[in-house]
Amino acid sequence: MIVEIGSFSLALALALSLAQAVLAGVARMRRSEVLAGAGQGAALGAFACLLIAFAALMYAFVTSDFSVSNVAANSHTAKPLLYRVAGTWGSHEGSMLLWCLALTGCGAAVAGVGRNLPAGLKTLTISVQGVLGILFLAYTVFASNPFVRLAQPPVEGRSLNPLLQDPALAFHPPMLYLGYVGMSVVFSFAVAALIEGRVDAAWARWVRPWTLGAWSALTVGITLGAFWAYYELGWGGWWFWDPVENASFMPWLIATALLHSAIVTEKRGALSGWTVFLALAAFTFSMLGAFLVRSGVLTSVHAFAVDPTRGVLLLAILGVTAGSAFALFAWRAPLLKQGGVFAPISRESALVLNNIFLAAATATVLLGTLYPLMREAATGEAISVGPPFFNLTFTPLMAALAILLPAGPLLAWKRGDLRGVMQRLWVAAVIAVACGLAAFAFISPRKAFSSVGVAMGAWLVIGSLVEIAERTRVFRISIGESWRRLIGLPRGAWGMTLAHLGLGVFVLGACFETGWKQEAAEALPVGGRLNLGAYHLILDDVRGIEGPNYDAERGQLRAFKGDKQICAPAPERRLYPTGGQTTSEVAICTLGISHLYVVLGERRPAEGAPVWLVRAYWNPWALLIFIGPGIMALGGVISLSDRRLRLAAGRKAEAAA
Amino acid sequence: MIAFWVVAGVLSAACAGVILSSSARAASRAGAADPTTALYRRQLREIDDLADRGLIPEAERTTTHAEAARRLLSAAEGQGQAWSADTAVRKPILVVAALTPLLALGAYFGVGSPGLPDQPFKDRVAIWRDADPASLAPQEMAVVLQTLIKERGGDVEAYGYLAQAEMASENPAGAARALRRAIELDPKRADLWEGLGEVLMIEAEGEVTPQAERAFQEALKRDPTSVNARFHLARGLIADGDQQAGLAAWRALVADLPAPDPRRAAVQSAIAQAEGQPAPAAGPALGGQLGAVQGMVASLAARLEDNPDDPEGWVRLVRSYAVLGDQANRDATLAKARAKYAANPDVLKDLDLAAKTEPMR
Repeated sequence: MIVEIGSFSLALALALSLAQAVLAGVARMRRSEVLAGAGQGAALGAFACLLIAFAALMYAFVTSDFSVSNVAANSHTAKPLLYRVAGTWGSHEGSMLLWCLALTGCGAAVAGVGRNLPAGLKTLTISVQGVLGILFLAYTVFASNPFVRLAQPPVEGRSLNPLLQDPALAFHPPMLYLGYVGMSVVFSFAVAALIEGRVDAAWARWVRPWTLGAWSALTVGITLGAFWAYYELGWGGWWFWDPVENASFMPWLIATALLHSAIVTEKRGALSGWTVFLALAAFTFSMLGAFLVRSGVLTSVHAFAVDPTRGVLLLAILGVTAGSAFALFAWRAPLLKQGGVFAPISRESALVLNNIFLAAATATVLLGTLYPLMREAATGEAISVGPPFFNLTFTPLMAALAILLPAGPLLAWKRGDLRGVMQRLWVAAVIAVACGLAAFAFISPRKAFSSVGVAMGAWLVIGSLVEIAERTRVFRISIGESWRRLIGLPRGAWGMTLAHLGLGVFVLGACFETGWKQEAAEALPVGGRLNLGAYHLILDDVRGIEGPNYDAERGQLRAFKGDKQICAPAPERRLYPTGGQTTSEVAICTLGISHLYVVLGERRPAEGAPVWLVRAYWNPWALLIFIGPGIMALGGVISLSDRRLRLAAGRKAEAAA
Repeated sequence: MIAFWVVAGVLSAACAGVILSSSARAASRAGAADPTTALYRRQLREIDDLADRGLIPEAERTTTHAEAARRLLSAAEGQGQAWSADTAVRKPILVVAALTPLLALGAYFGVGSPGLPDQPFKDRVAIWRDADPASLAPQEMAVVLQTLIKERGGDVEAYGYLAQAEMASENPAGAARALRRAIELDPKRADLWEGLGEVLMIEAEGEVTPQAERAFQEALKRDPTSVNARFHLARGLIADGDQQAGLAAWRALVADLPAPDPRRAAVQSAIAQAEGQPAPAAGPALGGQLGAVQGMVASLAARLEDNPDDPEGWVRLVRSYAVLGDQANRDATLAKARAKYAANPDVLKDLDLAAKTEPMR
């Protein structure tokens, strides 16, 4: 019964989304509070129904109910509980259900917590969110229903792709979807504002917390994905410019641009048209990502291999949604009020430059992602656009952005003093250049580009610290006074500083890791030795072990630096009999912020004793690649908490008055 | 079924209730001021606050304060007409609240399976346990055996049966696991090692892997006459390029097998094939995927010839022939065993059940 209740709830959520769109839409036309309230009720109901449907599907996965086709295709009784739970969103259908859950959740959040929004904007936003709900729920119910039943259930399920049976990946999709679908609220706000004809400072302020929340979730989601690729795929890398990675990276770039342009709109009432455009683009890129991953046009490690018919339906949803939104933009944007003016040297100009670079970077990633597809469609010739393209196009844009970044927060609004900013940043510049030169001089082998990258990372990190030092006027006033200023800094300021600092930390990690990574591979017998720069590894033993749903060979190694043992990596090579896939379980020794990364390869036939291919990487400062975005996301969350607290305080103060 | 409709009805009513109660609450909130002016007032206070704490320069305070004040003024002037709390719209809301579940029901009838109960794995296992084992498919049998072993702990025989059921359901990895457990319990039994070698070989699509080779060697250590272990070890030698040693081992095996043994012809046929000669008509084939199973069965048959007082062995042999789809041998063995155990109804029942096992292909 529970599965069928889930199925019914899903259908009910679709009907409620329709009610939500209609009731809220009519409420705006008739300016009726009562109808608007009914629309909000429908939004809350749709979310509640989706929660029930999601719980029902999870129940089917946990109890291994193979009469549900989706469970039979993606689960197995021998799978550990965590992955049976994660199996709920591990397939195309289940992940569409998660997408709809997040979508209706956002609608319910606007209905439930958006008390400080003007009635018109709120009601229209809920209506647009309802329309998005109708499209995606109809797609899920009629074309990707996770509750389809089997009259003759199989004895066992076909299990989840073993590569996806991993803790980081269990949580990667929910975070990513929260980010993707969080952008839907921003999209709905933008459409509502265009209809209302009102994109002003207040609108930007209402939109910012939603953008911040979605951006933070997307940052965490992408980082988890990169971390998973790093330690699960066993290739030693963390970002491959794979089209599916790009699909999640493009909305992030646009959302980052939006966060910055919304500040200009909020503070100065300027750039309103551009901000709305970005708000529409952010969700459009999220939907494009969903289409690319699910249409079967891409073959990738983590693309869902889904039939083209369903891909065409998704493309239709993308076309209808983005098409009508941008048409509305073309019609209404010229009517938007222009905001305050600003000088070429000003905080606003810096943020405009930031937006230009981010938009150009998104365009290059889009081109690199779509060009092979378009070329294959046109000529039938398959080509792949890989790191060389992105290194030549994306990296210089980001480098230019990084050079300008520390100056931005130090510039005043409206008219900035460039000379003053340069005076304040020269120490940072000198230290950064010194760091780069030191890297070039002392790290072997000599790498010019990586050393420039190190200087850039140091520039971002020190620039962020200078910005805090400037705000607190440290060393210029008494320490007590500086401390008072430091703890009095608004959380939004802390959030910005942390996000910029996190970017610097990431750049440092990425440059060290890619520049000075060392690699060694050799077929080793038991007792064999593998040299890796200053380190060496001894393979002590390889034995067969049985996991809950796999058989594995586990290598037991010892890693030494000189004569001193530093760790005992135990990589595995797992065979999942259901499906017959083999995966590598990488062993990572964390030494400070660097990683010694060991992969056990296949057993090779050899005369005499058997040998195993052992690959090892020395990944210097690799941990920073994941800590950096973590700091950025933390900055987003801190900034978000500031807004909420201040709005709440504002309400209290008004109530008291 | 009734429970489903009750829950679906309650859910529908609850959703309609949320729509109606939310609209009723909205009516009572009507007439609230546009929050835009409040927001701009707060922005003004924030600017002052930041400037008072020295976090923005005085000049910036002046300009941003002036701009925010202008926005406040324009927002206050632009305050549109308030929204109405007219409750006359309640009737259409009621209609929508009633239509929504009906629409959902229509969609559900299109895609759902009303009346189909949940089928959690645990419940299905319970049904299989209560069912006549003869009616079970090999995979179901394997699940039942796994459950029983989990509950009661397994003995060597239980794991042996599980291995057979796993093999019959084309899951050599599961069979290998079961045989490893059995070997842990009784490492002295050569037939278990031999069986393990064979399933590992089947798992590797016929290749005598190092693990399979080790299992065969362990079997030979315990029973130097193990025909299958000798056969496959020799086959492994030939596959590794040592044809001479492999053929010599096979020839020694032929010499050791008595003339009426059907496996003799199979080994001779393998020798002929390896030497590139036309293969003579052979008895049951040895080697290859099915051959490995057949080899296992032949060794069991030979063991029972030597040592016929083994009711479980007879049951296993009957089931094995049934699994292989070898009806003639199944029926002959069944008749022989029935005659031998005519006075033992339990064994007769097991024999009959075993004979009904579904064939492997």
